Amino acid sequence: MAHVWPIGGGKGGSGKSFITSSLGRLSAELGKKTLIIDLDLGAANLHTLVGVPDPQKGFSDFIRKKIPLLEDTVVETPSPNLFLISGAHDNFDIANLSYEQKIRTLRAIAKLDFDRILLDLGAGTSFNTLDFFLISQNGIFITTPEPTSVENVYRLIRAIYFRRIRYCFNVTDFKELELEADRQFGDGSFNKPDSLMKVIARTNPEKYTQLNNEFGAFRFKLIINQVRRHDNVALGLQMSRMIEKHLGLNMEFLGNVAYDEHVHDAICQQVSFLERYPYTKTASDLRELGKLIVESAGKQLTLRYM
Amino acid sequence: MRKDFDQLSYYEMLDIKPDAVPYEIRHAYNAALQLYQPGSLVSYSFFSDGERRAILSLVEKAYQTLINDQSRKDYDDELIRRGELEAREESAPDVRKPVSVFHISHGPAVRTVFISSDALKNKISQSQIITDILARSELSGEDLKQIRTELGLTIEQIAEETKIRVNNIRSIEEGQAEQMPPAVFLKGFVKSYLKCLGLESVEELSARYMNTVSRLK
Repeated sequence: MAHVWPIGGGKGGSGKSFITSSLGRLSAELGKKTLIIDLDLGAANLHTLVGVPDPQKGFSDFIRKKIPLLEDTVVETPSPNLFLISGAHDNFDIANLSYEQKIRTLRAIAKLDFDRILLDLGAGTSFNTLDFFLISQNGIFITTPEPTSVENVYRLIRAIYFRRIRYCFNVTDFKELELEADRQFGDGSFNKPDSLMKVIARTNPEKYTQLNNEFGAFRFKLIINQVRRHDNVALGLQMSRMIEKHLGLNMEFLGNVAYDEHVHDAICQQVSFLERYPYTKTASDLRELGKLIVESAGKQLTLRYM
Repeated sequence: MRKDFDQLSYYEMLDIKPDAVPYEIRHAYNAALQLYQPGSLVSYSFFSDGERRAILSLVEKAYQTLINDQSRKDYDDELIRRGELEAREESAPDVRKPVSVFHISHGPAVRTVFISSDALKNKISQSQIITDILARSELSGEDLKQIRTELGLTIEQIAEETKIRVNNIRSIEEGQAEQMPPAVFLKGFVKSYLKCLGLESVEELSARYMNTVSRLK
């Protein structure tokens, strides 16, 4: 079964697509048959980053059932071993996938035959993003060392936590749960996943154990992107410590990626940054991350709740 | 179940082991401040103002408790009573000395033996010969040599410990004025020599030795 790595981060412009494309290239170079899927629905641009400016087919062909199988929407890229499902010609209403469409997509992704699958997810905390993130235990969060970005990544993590709890209950039970949390912990606490968990622990120990095991199985990763010279290099470690201590989720800090003006140049010229500027700090940071991704193994795909 | 922050022990709050030394505690406290203080990028938007204040006051309390030996001991006792900490056997604090990076020994190969001052003091008080020598009003080089051999120390060991050259130590013991270093240096050498042997009081004995030597001249 393929290793699926959803890549998200909450805030736009933090470099999700750039890192996805770079990691895709690296993993392909290291001999893994790699697929990258543009799931930034409604704002797709991954095709431009991997040198396929005008792909002939894409994700929306699968959604519109023009192409029945997801694997038939895969296009090759100029790099050997690297494949793409593009969102270049997505319909303009694709941002709002229906529940059935989403389930169909998730199941199809799970069946694809690749060594590594990287999902480029959009900004924000829409249900699409959250559900695609929950497809794997190895979700990668990307943030820049700025308060806006850090804020959004915490929000995304909590939203994912919340979404997973929400799946366990039907509408009325969940409503009750929220009310109970509100009664016990006061105003606004229905919005805190950890307070909800505390209520569940008391009212529904069975579900609590199940959820707890699942959260324990997550192996989220954190990458700090666009690290400038005077930035705090320990930020990533400190953030993962915060999340582990206060949310109880495993969060592994993978590494920093240095900021480099040349990334902008490479994107403008539509060439691979790693090939054009292989000796920059940024490129070597990316190669380190690529190695981690390719070497890491482990349990994948948690589709049980679907 | 994952414990809430206010349920953690002070050690867990600061992410240190129960046998952490004060340096580690101070370091962990600074690290925690970096995480939780207002304006920290790491915890930006993670807590509401109230939560942040609560956490900071806990961190402060944890630090104040652990950094003070007495309050830390009380706190440890409480943890042990609650069964959250295993009682540890009392052991003398392990004082670490700087370790020499290069071991350069000029004279003959000498096995370095740490001269323990406690053991020396014991020997001095027990030895009849040394007590006799120290009771006299004069102190010659010969006497020093006798004390040294009585204590079972070699000249090389003393040289190692005091960094005085072997021939200087020898001239101190032989008391031959022409071979001795100038008086200014000699005084210092004798003092470190006496200190190394663990004799008391250094000032008084060195004065006695200098008097003896000058009379010989």
